[in-house]
Amino acid sequence: MSAFRVLIVESEAGEAAELSGLIHSWEYTGASGYISPAVIDSVTSAEMALQAYGESPPNLVIFGPTSAVEVASSQIRQLRQSSGIEPVPILFVQDLSCGEPAAPPTDCDDILTKPYSPSLVQLKLASIRRFCEFSRSLMAQRDRLRRHHADFLQEQANAREIFSNLGNESCLDGSPAIRYHLSPRAVLNGDLLAATYTPDGKLVLMLGDFAGHGLAAAVGAVPLTSIFYSMMPRGFSMGRVLREINRKLYDILPRQMFCCLAMLELDPRRMHLRLLNAGMPSPCLKRASGELHLLESRHLPFGVLATDQIDSAIVNLRVLPGDRLYLWSDGIHEARNGKGEHFGESRLMDLLRADCGGNQAFDQILMAVNAHAAEQHDDLSLVELELTDSSLCRSDLPAADHNGERKGGRIGNWSIELRLAHEELRTADPLPHILSVLAQMPGAARFQEDLAITLGELFRNALEHGVLELDSSIKSTDDGFIRYYDLLAERRSRLDRGWVNIVLSCTESEEGGQLNLVVEDSGSGIQEIREPKGVYAGRGLALLQTVCSEVHLVPGSSRVEAIIRWPAAKPTAQEDPCGSPANAVQNPSVPV
Amino acid sequence: MVVSDRFESRVTSEISENGDAVIIRVAGNFDFNMHREFQRAYRNVAPPPKMFLVDLSATDHLDSAALGMLLLLRDYCVEVGREGFQPEVELMNVNAHVSHILSVSNFDRIFSIR
Repeated sequence: MSAFRVLIVESEAGEAAELSGLIHSWEYTGASGYISPAVIDSVTSAEMALQAYGESPPNLVIFGPTSAVEVASSQIRQLRQSSGIEPVPILFVQDLSCGEPAAPPTDCDDILTKPYSPSLVQLKLASIRRFCEFSRSLMAQRDRLRRHHADFLQEQANAREIFSNLGNESCLDGSPAIRYHLSPRAVLNGDLLAATYTPDGKLVLMLGDFAGHGLAAAVGAVPLTSIFYSMMPRGFSMGRVLREINRKLYDILPRQMFCCLAMLELDPRRMHLRLLNAGMPSPCLKRASGELHLLESRHLPFGVLATDQIDSAIVNLRVLPGDRLYLWSDGIHEARNGKGEHFGESRLMDLLRADCGGNQAFDQILMAVNAHAAEQHDDLSLVELELTDSSLCRSDLPAADHNGERKGGRIGNWSIELRLAHEELRTADPLPHILSVLAQMPGAARFQEDLAITLGELFRNALEHGVLELDSSIKSTDDGFIRYYDLLAERRSRLDRGWVNIVLSCTESEEGGQLNLVVEDSGSGIQEIREPKGVYAGRGLALLQTVCSEVHLVPGSSRVEAIIRWPAAKPTAQEDPCGSPANAVQNPSVPV
Repeated sequence: MVVSDRFESRVTSEISENGDAVIIRVAGNFDFNMHREFQRAYRNVAPPPKMFLVDLSATDHLDSAALGMLLLLRDYCVEVGREGFQPEVELMNVNAHVSHILSVSNFDRIFSIR
């Protein structure tokens, strides 16, 4: 323990010596039983006292009877200002032996009266000293807390950097059609936003909200994003990836933790949106017409149960030109004002409704929430997606651009056949298997997206129309569109016969290469031309036409052949898959 | 220490009239701050009852941490069930706001609500 320093300020040497002797005889026993004498410094004026403050700061200052009368208020103020954060009590000695007692001085904290009563002086000194020790220990605790807090913030900042790097793979900043705002309440965000493209050019985006805040919540983001960013670009279906996420979170999260999640898959070419909402506030689809559709949660949050009903909880929506989708976390709903009122869904809906045709809603929502909430109680996230913006339709896939030096790589002559029987067809997803074979071939990057689109279309066609005998014309109305996908999920889960056969063969010569994809199914074959196509169906073929060099279909047969060609030498620019179809197609008006 | 009384919450528990159930009542904001009290309310019952009834009649708001606590209670019952009879969990007297929260999170599928 450091010494207790007493500073005596007295111009009369005799008075100073008397005070000094009085204090010297005082023995103080600290809380630990340790006896420590006080250190006494003696100066003769307030100026010198000020100087002493700088050299060896005292714990207590006593103005002797002469100096106490002489000292000016301003000097006392100066002393107090230079004493730092720990209070240094100032005592005045008041001489009561000569004449009338003056009014007690107000500048000091306490007085000692003369003639001195040694026991009273010692009582006073001991009590002051105890308070000084108390305040010193408080300061020490405060400093320790500050250090811990600084360390803690540093750790969080490190963790934050790791988590922000997790998002490096995201394509959120790649398109003006995606606007987002993430505002964590603390350093780490319990909300999580991720987006990427599938190999066949679909945008997948997820907004998640872990129960809780801070580190524990953010830690859950690691497996979630790593599953998302590793499986999605490999072509695994949304259902499969979601199932994997639920299983993983169930395995690793403590029982009281879970993750609310909304994931969407937008196929910008087929104008098709699929969305799963597991416990998030309902995303809102704003049609160009001004209609608002809330997409309610149809699934338990992830990590609650080992089992899931993902397939029946995914909703399918036809996207129309000008549609926008808004997603938010409950931090927006539950933003509280001074009276504890939540911002609520109805205020959100009003803002969305009021914004007719414009694109102000995003900023208006943020402004309104900020204006409403007295302080931020939760992580707060908002996402706006312009569903039919052409920038979402990518023609420059990373697979094609960062493998520049491999473009000339040989692909070779080979073929593979994949046959899926009914049990596999209930759940199987042929795309990742086939793409994983191609991933071994350096040159394959150039047609990977085209192949993924083509294979996706042909497989879906074979499964839905061939094996499951679903009629596209059901999709001609908005309700029918939803019924179609309900029927699909139901028939698929009960499938007890049928097959789909996929043959992929590649030939390559000096002139160029060609990939033949033949898909056949157990169905009765494609019927004659159907009339007329509604807005909700029949986009598949148009899409194939833009991607493939040739598409062969024969009415009455279930065999469809698609050919993708590429030139040998320097790869020329591929057609923009969103652009107009320019290639030969044999039988253009059959809906696929 | 000053405690804001606006969001004051508390957990009380009692044995039902027929003695079969423990009724746990959460008043005010059912959130993370309740977790110790809530846990104490069901863990300190020996022997475990046939049923835990969570009375939400005085609950103003329920957050995700509260949902997590309900999951913990459910888990506790499974744990107890390994050594004998497994207690059931039911939620009761759910107001409109709380009911909305339960249905948004689809917790109404895994908890019976009376």
